[in-house]
Amino acid sequence: MIHDYLDTLARALSFDPSLSQRVRREVEDHLLDAVAADPARDRREAERQAVAHFGEPHAIAAEFARVAVARQARSLAAAIVVMVFVVFIAMKARVAWYAATQWTMAEDMRPAAKIVLLVDRYAFWTAVILAIAGFAYMVGRRVVPASHRARAGHLRHVSLLCAIAAAALAVSVVSDGLLTAFQLRGALSWAESLIPISSMALEVACIGVLAWQIRAIARRAACARALENRCSL
Amino acid sequence: MLKGHLDMIVLAALAAGPAHGYAVIERIRHKSGQAFDLPEGTIYPALHRLEQAALLSSRWVTAESGRRRRVYALTRAGERALAERRAVWQQFSDAIGGLLQGARPRRKPA
Repeated sequence: MIHDYLDTLARALSFDPSLSQRVRREVEDHLLDAVAADPARDRREAERQAVAHFGEPHAIAAEFARVAVARQARSLAAAIVVMVFVVFIAMKARVAWYAATQWTMAEDMRPAAKIVLLVDRYAFWTAVILAIAGFAYMVGRRVVPASHRARAGHLRHVSLLCAIAAAALAVSVVSDGLLTAFQLRGALSWAESLIPISSMALEVACIGVLAWQIRAIARRAACARALENRCSL
Repeated sequence: MLKGHLDMIVLAALAAGPAHGYAVIERIRHKSGQAFDLPEGTIYPALHRLEQAALLSSRWVTAESGRRRRVYALTRAGERALAERRAVWQQFSDAIGGLLQGARPRRKPA
């Protein structure tokens, strides 16, 4: 009976294998303690009691899922700050390379580059401000509220800040890509283009990491909602 | 009502020293004079949430029975959080006590 219960709980948390494994081991330990402490001589009855006292597995899994979503949101808020910094360093490295090699942009590309540069600046600083705001909000509210309503509001605020910051950073990276393409037009050799292309690859990788994290949060949030809906039926 | 104070209850149970989940529930039952008989499964998500907030730390240990179990302990931040919550609760309790007895509360509640 305990194994069936543990299987159900672990399956409900299968969206996060490490969490699922940890919860399974902890709950198994708990249930075995409860059975050992039960004065009833009938082991099957003791197991039934232990499982009944522990609670409905999907309701408990829903609680764990909400905690997992909050943890992922926290790591996303920190990741965005780091990625903004990495993108900034990559941009500066590229500009420094152009200056060191006295590499100037072709005349016919300059009017378009001016507009793209403006978009790039606004998008980047929007990303900086929102990333810092999202991180500060997470740090300021270290304990995720216990009540479902307060927690939903908290996660909504963090998710919104993170999503807009990530979108702004993506716009900035796309603009950087265009500017780099303008600059590289007429480049003499691969060796000359190595630093600009590598720095652009780094920026794109940063956006890829953020996209992966946002996808993981969306997946966990969907699992948490599905578990909640199942419990409320 | 109890759920709103679950974090404080769990932190208070761990103030006596590190413990695994089952022992935390036993402490809560014992210290509350059996008044708080929480659904046992609700404690574990709360422990994970408090650990995530760095108010608790945890590690696997091997029990005498040979079973591996997760033991939780208050961190410095957890001790501070518990002290803050105790103070707020004391003010609230004094205020309610005063109201129920028809006397004025000693301090303004937070």
